[in-house]
Amino acid sequence: MTTTRLDAPLKVTGRATYASDHTFPGLAHGYVVVSTIAHGEIESMDVTAAKGSPGVLAVYSPFDPLELRTPSTAFLGETWVPLQDREVGYYGQPIGFVVAETYEQARDAAMLVEVTYRRRPARTSLQDGLATAEDAPPAMDGSPPSLSVLADGVESIEDALAASPVVVDATYRTATQNHAAMEPHSAVAVWEDGTLTVHSGNQGSDLQAQELANALQVDPAAVHAVNPFVGGAFGGKGRTSVPAFLAAAAARALGRPVKAALSREQVFTATAGRAATVQRITLGAERDGTLVAIRHDSWSSTALDRSFVEPTSHGTSREWYSTRNLAISQKMVPLTISPTTFMRAPGEAPGSFALESAIDELAVALDMDPVELRLRNNSTAPPGRDLQWSSKHLDECFAIGAARFGWADRSPQGHTDGDWLVGLGTATAMFPALRFPATVGITLRDDDTAEVATSGADPGTGLLTVLALIGAESLDIAPERITPRLGDSALPSGGMSGGSTATASTGTAIMVAAPKAIDELLALAAAPGAPFAGRDVSYADGRVLADGGSMTFGEVLRAVGRASVSVTGSSAPGEEMTKHSFSSFGAQFCEVRVHRWTREVRVSRMLGVFDAGRIINRKAARSQLMGGMIWGVSAALHEGLDVDADGRPSNADLAGYLLPVNADIGEVDVALVEHPDTLHNSVGARGLGEIGIVGMAAAVANAVHNATGVRVRHIPITIEDLLVPPVRGS
Amino acid sequence: MRPFELIAPTTVDEALATPGTFLAGGTTLVDLMKLDVLTPQRVLDINDLPLRGIDTGDGLRIGALERMSDIAAHPGTYPVISRALLLSASQQLRNMASIGGNVLQRTRCTYFRDVSSPCNRREPGSGCPALTGANRMHAVLGTSDSCAATHPSDVAVALVALDAEVRLVGPDGSRTVRLADLYRLPGDTPEIENDLRPGELLTEIVVPRLDWASNSTYVKVRDRQSYEFALCSAAVALDVRDSRIVDARVAVGGVATVPWRLTAVEAALRGRPATLATFSDAAAGAADGARPLSANGFKTSLLERTVVRALLELTEGDRA
Ligand SMILES: Cc1cc2nc3c(=O)[nH]c(=O)nc-3n(C[C@H](O)[C@H](O)[C@H](O)COP(=O)(O)OP(=O)(O)OC[C@H]3O[C@@H](n4cnc5c(N)ncnc54)[C@H](O)[C@@H]3O)c2cc1C
Repeated sequence: MTTTRLDAPLKVTGRATYASDHTFPGLAHGYVVVSTIAHGEIESMDVTAAKGSPGVLAVYSPFDPLELRTPSTAFLGETWVPLQDREVGYYGQPIGFVVAETYEQARDAAMLVEVTYRRRPARTSLQDGLATAEDAPPAMDGSPPSLSVLADGVESIEDALAASPVVVDATYRTATQNHAAMEPHSAVAVWEDGTLTVHSGNQGSDLQAQELANALQVDPAAVHAVNPFVGGAFGGKGRTSVPAFLAAAAARALGRPVKAALSREQVFTATAGRAATVQRITLGAERDGTLVAIRHDSWSSTALDRSFVEPTSHGTSREWYSTRNLAISQKMVPLTISPTTFMRAPGEAPGSFALESAIDELAVALDMDPVELRLRNNSTAPPGRDLQWSSKHLDECFAIGAARFGWADRSPQGHTDGDWLVGLGTATAMFPALRFPATVGITLRDDDTAEVATSGADPGTGLLTVLALIGAESLDIAPERITPRLGDSALPSGGMSGGSTATASTGTAIMVAAPKAIDELLALAAAPGAPFAGRDVSYADGRVLADGGSMTFGEVLRAVGRASVSVTGSSAPGEEMTKHSFSSFGAQFCEVRVHRWTREVRVSRMLGVFDAGRIINRKAARSQLMGGMIWGVSAALHEGLDVDADGRPSNADLAGYLLPVNADIGEVDVALVEHPDTLHNSVGARGLGEIGIVGMAAAVANAVHNATGVRVRHIPITIEDLLVPPVRGS
Repeated sequence: MRPFELIAPTTVDEALATPGTFLAGGTTLVDLMKLDVLTPQRVLDINDLPLRGIDTGDGLRIGALERMSDIAAHPGTYPVISRALLLSASQQLRNMASIGGNVLQRTRCTYFRDVSSPCNRREPGSGCPALTGANRMHAVLGTSDSCAATHPSDVAVALVALDAEVRLVGPDGSRTVRLADLYRLPGDTPEIENDLRPGELLTEIVVPRLDWASNSTYVKVRDRQSYEFALCSAAVALDVRDSRIVDARVAVGGVATVPWRLTAVEAALRGRPATLATFSDAAAGAADGARPLSANGFKTSLLERTVVRALLELTEGDRA
């Protein structure tokens, strides 16, 4: 199927109403006040001037807080709520909330709040903290921070490496990043008769409703979270945002609807971002390229609350290559920085920069083609595990990619084109195929349409269209007759749109719900007094069939006097987990051009070939993967939040926090090998939301090495990295 | 943003009679007002003043309110000027921003733009965190112990290379000064960025006629292809006859506290053959006197390379 996104016309014409587009009579506006130190205690806050400023309704602070409890949910654990104490753990931390009649009045008044602090030293250097790093908590799958798999008779990873004829050993670094979604974290909160409605872009409306109910100490049934449109999330809107907590609590306190939105600068500090990492990788190999040992030690920055650790070793080396010996470890360094959280391919994205750069270094050391080296170590199962990959066509991805990209013409020394040094690079991409529990409701209506509904979110991923497509297929009717609905906590629980799971999770639930709806319809059709009373009935093409006749489901419903039939279907990971290992796979290729004199790096071409099971909507899949690949270029050449020694980010806006612009992105090509993976789920689709970013930063760095002979072991790669010798060409 | 009074004079006399801060395109001013860096009580919207027109009769005269995009598109503009403009900001900003506002725009130093940080330029005597902090984008030339902020304008670099003058009209009369002389090095008083007197209005930019500047270009090196300030840029013009350099203009941006003319490089080019060897030799002195900070040391080498690249592009074309 190739379908234009159902919500596209609304979005490109500005008619999609995002959270902060909502307005209500009596709406008041809140502005968040943030800390201007990174670490310490607030001694006092003088809010007199702010309170006296025109239009101001209230000024909340730790000295005059809004009542909020720390919410705790099974899925997310605890989520921090602002204003409950005077501790400051990072620069730009929310410490106050000014509510006024207009946004401008609230912002002006917020600038008048005078804060005095008792400062404590900031700690912002991951490098300086390496010596005192702590063990990370167990990984998502429960595995310990350090683990090893050793071949029979091998005592230690050091022994395995010592016995390897060829060894490469290097340390890689990746930058702190922020999701920087186009829609800043924002909310509009309205209380009516003890019931709260919150409009706020978020990755799971039912989770948000739970967190808000918990924080506000109200009955979960009294909170309604609505987010049919989300202006980008990427993991950064998994938890309820500060503006949502504050708007909801202030609306209750003031008895008026309240809107709150972070400014662009605040998005960089008052939300959680991606941790910085340091990774040391040692690879041992036979002369023919067969891996003998992989050692991958990782350090991740984290906030003082130890909110999240970027699992770079567990997300990559644990599973990616066939190797007889493996040792990985994960440590964390708590710093006075903004909280950390998942960001598109957490672990895999920065982890693959290190691992796939190291594999390229090994290829150079072996004087071997990097594609050939990867295929030589292609695995049938993760090291030390019996469960084989359910469906793996990585070799096909590389074969198609190499042919399509012209890889055979690559010289190990790159080539030149006028004043530009040109290089090609490649990398493997993998992302685990996951599912979360999900429930979907299906309603057949007497007008021959059907509704497919779940509370989950479509933060630009295309889930709304997927609901229509899988719903249509499962009900055997045209997609135009399906009304998909999502982004509303009143709908059946779809959980969180994250982990590249939504298509597999909700799609499987649709495939459970649809037969139930059809069974119920058939029972109605054959019931006494119904059109097909007592006859054998079946269903196809949206119709109930029986000997000698057929009726559409709408006709049947009208004949029996029913407006609709509603069912729900649920799915969750199950038995399959004991039988196979599951992952999506891909091969990334890119071409870079580096200016002979001034050393700018520009990516002129890239290609990603992906194996993600069955593809439900080729157009959306392609866009999603392109977006990921472009983000990979961004990570490789542009993105990084620079935090001063005193904890202040020095580039916290979209002029200073660089993302590629159109002119930076040359040709982007995506190819899909489509092998349905019904061992994973009955839809046959594995996730592809995140895999597009994985490996791309390494492919860029590897291409830069091919072009210039300079190996850069950190991202982003900038001009000064390439002004140093050895340089070819000038 | 603080509340302010907004008035829109329609004649220059009226504008000069009313104390206040001039607003042209507003792309610097409004930005800094939102950040609380500038807090004028009265803003004079000068867009109705008759400061328009691009005249190419003898040299180039540009009214202060002409938009960057219009100047870039004008057929009579020297290549170095239109290229510098086209490589600035974004099309939307260029449609909004005036040439007068452009040459008077404020630095993009992150500490200057953040009122919670000390900054000698914004709050004299408060200190300069950039000297030890985030200074990768900062200047290596023309700096002092109190400030190392770069002048961010691209087109000002081209204008300084071409010896442009600005016409200023103030309550006490009018005067013409070289643009290069208008800018002040930070020294001990970084808060004084230029010699503009209180209430003085920039009305016109005059580029003296220089026929061989038809052979000129602007090279801008930056971390992304568009919509980003220069790490280093070079405005160059060459008068080459029979493969010899008769005359040259070279100025650089992104590396200095003011648009930086390289007269020594120009002198080293004059009379020599237009070859890579000449360019490299001449550019070797481009960063003389540079004072690198912790994270911008690469700019000295980048500066030389940018000058060489610009000279090569002028003589050989941008090869591929
Ligand atoms: C995101 C972004 C990216 C940018 N990138 C670039 C870039 O790559 N290269 C570049 O060169 N610039 C860049 N700029 C800066 C932009 O070019 C300037 O903001 C613009 O040229 C200023 O012109 P304006 O008319 O908007 O000035 P205004 O903002 O109206 O005024 C600027 C200043 O000049 C004063 N002023 C204006 N006109 C006069 C006058 N006639 N007489 C006396 N004083 C006057 C004002 O009082 C104010 O102090 C960028 C700006 C932004 C926001």
